[in-house]
Amino acid sequence: MYRSSDRLVAYYHQRMSSSICQHLDSFKHKYGLNSYQIIYKQFISVTTHESRKRKARNSICFTCRLPVSRLHSCLYCVFFGCFTGHHIHEHSKTQNHNLAMDLSYGHIYCFTCEDYMHDKDFETIAKKQKHRADKVCGARCVQYYMWEPTSQELQVLKDNPQRKRISDNSHIGLRGLINLGNTCFMNCIVQALTHTPLLRDYFLADRHICQFEDDPSMCLVCEMSRLFQEVALNCLPLVFYSGKSSPHTPYKLLHLVWTHARHLAGYEQQDAHEFFIATLDVLHRHCRGTNGPTNNSPIHCNCIIDQIFTGSLQSDVVCQSCKGVSSVEDPIWDFSLDLGPSLHMRQQRATSSTQAVCDESEPKSLIDCLERFTRPEHLGSSAKIKCSSCQSYQESTKQLSLKKLPVVASFHLKRFEHSSRFHKKISSFISFPQYLDMTPFMASKIGCTGSGTGSTDGSNVNTYINGVPHNDNKYCLFAVVNHSGTIETGHYTAFIRQHRDQWFKCDDHLIMRASVQEVLDSEGYLLFYHKQILEYE
Amino acid sequence: MTDMDKTNHRMLAIAKQNMVESGERDQLMQLLRTRLLECGWRDQVVMECKDVVRDVGVENITLDKLIAEVTPKARQTVPDSVKRELLQKIKNSISNQSSLSSSAPSFSSVSSVSFNHN
Repeated sequence: MYRSSDRLVAYYHQRMSSSICQHLDSFKHKYGLNSYQIIYKQFISVTTHESRKRKARNSICFTCRLPVSRLHSCLYCVFFGCFTGHHIHEHSKTQNHNLAMDLSYGHIYCFTCEDYMHDKDFETIAKKQKHRADKVCGARCVQYYMWEPTSQELQVLKDNPQRKRISDNSHIGLRGLINLGNTCFMNCIVQALTHTPLLRDYFLADRHICQFEDDPSMCLVCEMSRLFQEVALNCLPLVFYSGKSSPHTPYKLLHLVWTHARHLAGYEQQDAHEFFIATLDVLHRHCRGTNGPTNNSPIHCNCIIDQIFTGSLQSDVVCQSCKGVSSVEDPIWDFSLDLGPSLHMRQQRATSSTQAVCDESEPKSLIDCLERFTRPEHLGSSAKIKCSSCQSYQESTKQLSLKKLPVVASFHLKRFEHSSRFHKKISSFISFPQYLDMTPFMASKIGCTGSGTGSTDGSNVNTYINGVPHNDNKYCLFAVVNHSGTIETGHYTAFIRQHRDQWFKCDDHLIMRASVQEVLDSEGYLLFYHKQILEYE
Repeated sequence: MTDMDKTNHRMLAIAKQNMVESGERDQLMQLLRTRLLECGWRDQVVMECKDVVRDVGVENITLDKLIAEVTPKARQTVPDSVKRELLQKIKNSISNQSSLSSSAPSFSSVSSVSFNHN
């Protein structure tokens, strides 16, 4: 395998430096590249309606007067001839013109060498014109162009002959992170973010353009980008515990976060969820510059953070007297889910001495939490809303539902209760699934369409791929952040998923293999799900 | 070449020119490329080509030799569904052309002629 890559390097090197056909070379010296470019632009990479018309009417073999396939143009004079009928060959013989170009792709045929010959200069022209035409013709998806190394890249490959082979057994993209003093909360979020596929792809493809012109070291996105490359390109050997691959020390990231999110500064233990939200916010702000500095609206921002994490919630307020609905759409970056007894239950328990009959039970699973999140809530007689149709203050219900699903759904189980009376942690087990279908919580399913009734039309749930309906609301778990301990002293660890089904536990600088059952049995504090349609089956 | 053949060829030429002019031909070529890529045909043909190059030898191979060796089998292994889809689209395009021009070639006689593509 080393030999084949060396051979490839040698091949590209040869193509760059040496010439292949002396007849092409002498043509180039005598006549230059102009005629080739003109013919290419007029007949191959047409961009305007007029040139397309001209191409259609003139792409005819001069001899058989038909628009044949494999039409060739003589490079020396104005003559089109077909290849299959050998009319271009006849022309070449009678006129002594030994070069012709194919009008489908621009390849040059040398009649003396009796084959198509490569030439770097002509191919450069062809590539440039083709790119131009593709852009103008607005190809619906980005055209795929094969990677060809530049001379610098070739030199780098030659100077560094050592090659690393990625196999099924190699573990790339896993790296421990040193705890800098109660920074396990940060380490867990970094592990979760570096294993978010779309975010990783964005940073590894170097798509970020920094907005901090005078001081790029202040840009959190740049630092994240570097961090991703440190983590994602790290290749761990098969045996983890040997500790051969050293963990990374994210002191720069920590410093930048302290600078941009002052409320998190200090060596005390911080809340991982707060850190997550603050990080997303700073990344969003530092990315925002690339999308037009005037657009501040969170719904309209197009930065990578919003593309991945932002969805929207529909909030329906129904007036209880006229049943009129007022709907509002708000952006949402993560779902904070209440645990424990609901406010309604707590009020009931507080007011009555006997055990109140409660029709609600405490949530025991993520689905329970989401059901509670999207349940219509009676706002109570003390919180009347002014109804526009009734023109008076009326009691109403409010219901949240999901309008636009984010690509990555992050769930925060509110285990830490900070009330005036006490601080405590809710450690009850909340089960969460590996695969999650958000359809039952969508606005199209349970939200109000303005007529006061929930929509039963599920047809907009599906997208169609190759004519087959695909449920676009399915998610797959890829990271879990856990908190162990009490509200005063605790430790954060994270489970992350690699490839399709390999789970690893990240405990600061220690990375250990884990089973999916271990993950699902864990307490769960922050849960990260990725839209399933993007998985590579 | 009989008169019938000549007329057919002329009609083919007109139909093809119209398709190039409207840009439809490029779109159909792109569609064909996508379908052949999706069903794995392209990868199959690439492997065939590699085999031929290996057999004939890198120094002796020319494009024409490659085309001669690989084309028959490649043509044969194009999936029927792809052929049907493209044929339907071409028929639609030509019948649209007929409905636009008065002295149009008859639809049935054009479809009976086989198309040679590169």
